[in-house]
Amino acid sequence: MTRPLLKISDVSVEFGPKANAIRVVDSVSFSIGAGEAVGLVGESGSGKSITSLSILRLIPDPPGRIVSGSIEFEGQDLLKLPANRMPEIRGRDIAMIFQEPMSSLNPVMTIGDQIAEALMLHQDLDRDARWQRVIEVLSLVGMPDPAARLGAFPHEFSGGMRQRVMIAMAVACNPKLLIADEPTTALDVTIQAQVLELMKSIRASVNTAILLISHDLGVIADLCERVVVMYSGRIVEEGSVESIFSKPEHPYTRGLLQSIPRLDDDRKRLYQIAGTVPMAGSVKKGCPFYARCDLRVDKCAAEMPPMFEFSKQHKAACWVTGEAEQ
Amino acid sequence: MTSLDQPVEAVRPTRTLLENVTATFIGRPSMIFAAVVILTFIAIALFAPLLAPYDPLAQSYLVINAYPSAEHWLGTDQFGRDVLSRLIYGSRNSMIFGITAPIIAALVGTTLGVVAGYFGGIFDRLVTRMIDLLLAFPDLLLAIIISAALGGGFWNILAVLSIAFVPGFARVARASTLAVKQEPYVEASVAVGLRTPLIILRHVVPNIAAPVVVLMTLWVASAIRLEAALSFLGLGTRPPYPSWGNIIRDGLNNIFGSPWPIIGAGFAITLVVLSFNMIGDAVRDLLDPEIGQ
Repeated sequence: MTRPLLKISDVSVEFGPKANAIRVVDSVSFSIGAGEAVGLVGESGSGKSITSLSILRLIPDPPGRIVSGSIEFEGQDLLKLPANRMPEIRGRDIAMIFQEPMSSLNPVMTIGDQIAEALMLHQDLDRDARWQRVIEVLSLVGMPDPAARLGAFPHEFSGGMRQRVMIAMAVACNPKLLIADEPTTALDVTIQAQVLELMKSIRASVNTAILLISHDLGVIADLCERVVVMYSGRIVEEGSVESIFSKPEHPYTRGLLQSIPRLDDDRKRLYQIAGTVPMAGSVKKGCPFYARCDLRVDKCAAEMPPMFEFSKQHKAACWVTGEAEQ
Repeated sequence: MTSLDQPVEAVRPTRTLLENVTATFIGRPSMIFAAVVILTFIAIALFAPLLAPYDPLAQSYLVINAYPSAEHWLGTDQFGRDVLSRLIYGSRNSMIFGITAPIIAALVGTTLGVVAGYFGGIFDRLVTRMIDLLLAFPDLLLAIIISAALGGGFWNILAVLSIAFVPGFARVARASTLAVKQEPYVEASVAVGLRTPLIILRHVVPNIAAPVVVLMTLWVASAIRLEAALSFLGLGTRPPYPSWGNIIRDGLNNIFGSPWPIIGAGFAITLVVLSFNMIGDAVRDLLDPEIGQ
């Protein structure tokens, strides 16, 4: 197997004072191949956004810090890179799309200038070539009459259009990896569908790898080939979209999939996973899902399950299903 | 492929800055008045040597304490100096200090405030303490203390006025920076690979400019008032050179002999300060999205 584009190994992130730090991300490992789309799913507070921020070392420090692990991008450990080299990676090799299109654009700067900013930093183009490229990416993201919109300010656009501008900013330098942190959460359902279509078409045309963070399994199934499920700062299941959606092995993933409302279902009450997500770092021992799990056995409370391999592509951290498989 | 040929939603044509300015002025007749007054006084200050009928320092014992007449439109003072000429030359002081002191203070104060707000830490605490210390004194008292230490003279007055205004700008800039720093677009600019100095220049400063500009226009009036007050107290422009403040001071000793210097300078100060305040209010309404439009 060739070297993956991004290899996250054993990354842990802590917040708060060192003496009683809260471990928000705990020993997370996964990798993304070149051109591959990976979905990162989990409830609010499961650590998925922090994991994605740690890749670009954007975790606000203080209070947060990455305490261990390595993040290898094309064989180079980003966590060992001096801090002043990170801006060279950001935006050029790894770009990011944020959750809130309404406030992720500078209100007093034209969208043309904002897209050109990334190009100015990372690509050696003259003025004309740069504007040409800005127009090119704007039409790539489906902006009608892009040349005329260069001088427009963010407030002149709707949320969906702003998210397109954000995507244009992110893909302007042809990044090898695009991290999209819930790119559709703040949008209407119809606009969500458009933005997803757009991400698909962009992926096809610029061949970038995508890390899509979402709590919406439908979105992930639509765009990704592989899924990583996080719960309470840990990865609990990982596998191809097909295998996870057809045969989830971790009880948490099963619960998530059952929670999706179905059109052909006439049940009155929607399914829910009982209980609430434990506060990050509050589970010191055993499986973090223990308190809410239908399958739990005594062993679960005592010891954190390792990742059991169910098939070459499919791993899950559960004592019950894992040992039954062996 | 539905996404690429979606029609764009109709975009409301936005008003340009010029249209906004025009609208603000037309909406308020008082603005036209204020603008005319200010432009007139700026012109008077610029062309003082051409406009003044007499040398403002020339004394004449033949026309002491004269009433207004065809020769001396606003009369003369106890030394026989022409009051109108003195007022005309005095306007130079007011205009120069009134306009440059807030600009200098805005540059220094904003730099301090933005750097302190963005980076935090020890520098922030230092700047904040300094601001608190300076703000503990009223403007005038602070100006008196500093000018008593430095003495009079053009550059010292400029320094005094600027120092008096720096803490206000620093505080406003720091508070705004703290708010802007949290905005997702600042985080996004980090993610794009922008380095800190450029983030501050391109994304932070333009977004805190509005309150700073408003403060600057409002404080032009304060600077004129403060310079007059200092000169009145004998700490500003030194006699015999005229400034509106020391014209009043001179006139006070001779109020029963010739009231014209006090009336003239008092009227000029009132008019200019009022006009600058009205412009300041208009600029605030124009730039503050919460109030305006």
